[in-house]
Amino acid sequence: MDTKLGNYLDERFGWRGVWAAIFLRKIPHVNWLYTLGSATLFVATLQIVTGILLTMYYVPTPDHAYDSVTYITTQLPAGWFIRGLHHWGASAMVVLTVLHLLRVFFYGAYKYPREVTWSTGVLLLLVVVGFGFTGYLLPWDQKAFWATTVGTRIIAVAPGIGPWLLRVARGGDELSAVTLARFFGVHVWVLPAALLALLLIHMYLVIRNGISAVPERKE
Amino acid sequence: MNEQEKKSYLTRYHEAKEKGVPFFPDIIFKDVIVSLLVFVLLIALARVVGVPLEARADPADTNYTPRPEWYFMFLFQLLKYFPGNLEVIGVMVIPTLMILLLLVLPYIDRSPKRHYMNRPWASLAALAVVGGIATLTVLAVLEAPPPQVTAGADQAALLYSKNCSNCHGPSIDVPPGTDLHQLIAGGKHAGMPAWGGDLSTDEIDALAGFIVSPKGSALYTSQCGSCHELTVLAAGNPLELQRVLDQGPDYPPHTGVQVQRWSDTLSVSERNALLNFLAAPDGQRLFAVNCAGCHGHGVVFSGDEKQLRTLIADGGQHLAMPAWRGTLTEGDLVTLAAYVVDPAATPAGQTLFEQHCSTCHGDHVPASPDKDTARKVIATGGGHVTMPVWGTVLTPEQLDALVTYTLAAGQGGGAAAGGQLYAQNCSPCHGQFGEGGPNPTRAGDIIAPISSAEFLKTRDDITLRAIISQGQPNFGMSPFGAANGGPLSDDEVDAVVSFMRSWEANPPVELPTEVAQAQAAALTGDQLFTNVCSRCHGPLGEGGIGPALNTPAFQAKYDDQALYDLISKGHAASQMIAWGEVLTTEQIQQLVRYVRALQPGQDPMTFSGAVLPLLQEKCAVCHAADIKLGGWDSSSYKAVMTTGDNSPVVVPGDVSASLLAQKVLGTHTQGKIMPPSGKMTAWNIQLITDWIAAGAPDN
Repeated sequence: MDTKLGNYLDERFGWRGVWAAIFLRKIPHVNWLYTLGSATLFVATLQIVTGILLTMYYVPTPDHAYDSVTYITTQLPAGWFIRGLHHWGASAMVVLTVLHLLRVFFYGAYKYPREVTWSTGVLLLLVVVGFGFTGYLLPWDQKAFWATTVGTRIIAVAPGIGPWLLRVARGGDELSAVTLARFFGVHVWVLPAALLALLLIHMYLVIRNGISAVPERKE
Repeated sequence: MNEQEKKSYLTRYHEAKEKGVPFFPDIIFKDVIVSLLVFVLLIALARVVGVPLEARADPADTNYTPRPEWYFMFLFQLLKYFPGNLEVIGVMVIPTLMILLLLVLPYIDRSPKRHYMNRPWASLAALAVVGGIATLTVLAVLEAPPPQVTAGADQAALLYSKNCSNCHGPSIDVPPGTDLHQLIAGGKHAGMPAWGGDLSTDEIDALAGFIVSPKGSALYTSQCGSCHELTVLAAGNPLELQRVLDQGPDYPPHTGVQVQRWSDTLSVSERNALLNFLAAPDGQRLFAVNCAGCHGHGVVFSGDEKQLRTLIADGGQHLAMPAWRGTLTEGDLVTLAAYVVDPAATPAGQTLFEQHCSTCHGDHVPASPDKDTARKVIATGGGHVTMPVWGTVLTPEQLDALVTYTLAAGQGGGAAAGGQLYAQNCSPCHGQFGEGGPNPTRAGDIIAPISSAEFLKTRDDITLRAIISQGQPNFGMSPFGAANGGPLSDDEVDAVVSFMRSWEANPPVELPTEVAQAQAAALTGDQLFTNVCSRCHGPLGEGGIGPALNTPAFQAKYDDQALYDLISKGHAASQMIAWGEVLTTEQIQQLVRYVRALQPGQDPMTFSGAVLPLLQEKCAVCHAADIKLGGWDSSSYKAVMTTGDNSPVVVPGDVSASLLAQKVLGTHTQGKIMPPSGKMTAWNIQLITDWIAAGAPDN
């Protein structure tokens, strides 16, 4: 990258500064548990890519949702593979996020100066769980329909505003086409937007404050 | 953490960093390896396990057992420990608190210690939470597979494992007096669907019995299961069931069958368990079987629960006969006591009896074994014979349920009773939930939903009452009010209306119109008869609310033209509306041909075929072989003809002289009309009077 092109671009982009800040920053000696965060980031990227591919064929209406998922799985070349990665990736996201959270907790890495990093991380966990909940309905099969029926009904237990919340979640009193449209909208627009925003803050804070060192017993 | 601690931390961190390695390539190398491993794992999962896609979503299939994604399983399991009103703690309070705690953790825990061994409490708490979530998840997965029960074994357990155990685990604890039947049929809390559409009434009864008394279900399988199907005996008549258990092989229908003497082989608690299984402690149904015969739809009871319990348990002892001790002299008391023991020997007692007792007792002198008992009863009051001593018939659990229900029904008004009436009278055309459907009387016509908010909001009670009572003959709806010849009394019409009003608060699911429209097509004579006539005349024309059509007598009475006119113009003052307004000429001709071709049936006046079943249904609660109120036993031909304090109650060939006819017609001047819950339908009464008029044959 010491070429003329590299210099040309650096003059205009300043990429060498960015590269140094992100990739050449020094990290204390850490162990393998510190790879959980980047593994989570990797699976999140994988989910985004496979998710985008799936939206090209998926149709979020009760009449066509099931058929389009069947089409993706059985007709589309490698469709089963993309859907399989997305499906198992969802579970992997939950597992990796929680493991990452536990690592940070037990190493006390959420303490000064990384408090806000931790809070955005917890919000990211909620976003991941939200992805799981909304995505579960989309195939519109029996499992999807009834698990969501029960899952949304739980919201109605909230004192006072419960029934209202339930209608907001379902877009009516019963699970319907509106529910599917809402869940799809939340799954592909609202949550990804939230994920990216939180992720940017999270990553910025990680680089800004540095990766925490493994704590010592004698401190 | 104070400023100095912060500074010292930053200094130490800076040193550690300087001694460390650059992110690229050292750290990122490890990251890539782990990410690749994860990727390979995901590919393997997608390739080997794949993604299960189940059948297309079917909102009508409430049999499906919902299962959340695995990472929600612990919440699902947690829910089970917070039943009823506590649910909100399990689903809202605990998760919200946990999330809030996580969010603000760094702002609460400000100590500078970082190593997990240096902050044991935080570490232990976190381990406990992780362990708890893991345990809950494992439990949820372990409890979810239904307990496997082989077919042919305990049928009720099989039903349970198929339908309930996924959510409820191997057993359910219910508080005494819970109306399980209603709860299962109607659904209840979050996640519990209404099973009424998927299970038959008998199956729900069996389930209710199993839930309350799994032991009873096992006993049933071992003791009764080889001869009886499960659903036949569930929700049986407790009086009859108790009799069977007491008599064992001596019970008449068990003659010649190898059965045990259960009063010896089963302990009291086992017999209770079996009875609880067969007649599940379900107040509404117990009331219907045991009490409705005399008390109609409900008893308005203003006392407290304890009083009611004593009253039902002691039965006969309850009606308040005043204590005569203060009113009568000691001499009069003795005379009366002697009179009731042996009226003929104590002529002086008769005057006293007529003065004081016959207002309530009529001319029936209550029997008493000896003078001392009689004197005590008269002096202290109490003592009455018209109500069985339910304390000896019902198990404690059943008694609980009956008390709870009676109290609730007395306060709650008619909606519950209305529901039953609706199911019997209205649901065949309007559907179980008032959702409507194809009009059975007119091909191509659709009955609109009557449970929709739109329908109910635009009609007041008076209108609804009028429609039910008078019918809508031009739409093919017969009048249902007694005043118009129908089967429902005014009170019953009101009950139906209040039941329909309950839909407003709790609207039932509506069928999409395309489902409703699916069936409407041209009808054959057979279908016409089934849809239009069989509701009143029976599926084979054997009679019901309306007279039998398949008897030689009926067939001879009307020629084809008369039959046509009868269908076309209807019958004044009966439920038979003028079908000419609804059906086409051709359809009526079809019906006439169909009625002519009916299989000739039994003579309606057959004692064993028609009269005895009617007596069993209407009279046997009080007039059975072992209860015999008024000395009359309705259980067999011989008993009907010979028993009774005023026997004979039947004078063959003479309706007006027969006490039985007078009682059911209400022409008898003494005492109440029978049955005490109200007059039977005209057709039922006619069955009895016709039989008497024909010479009361034993056929």
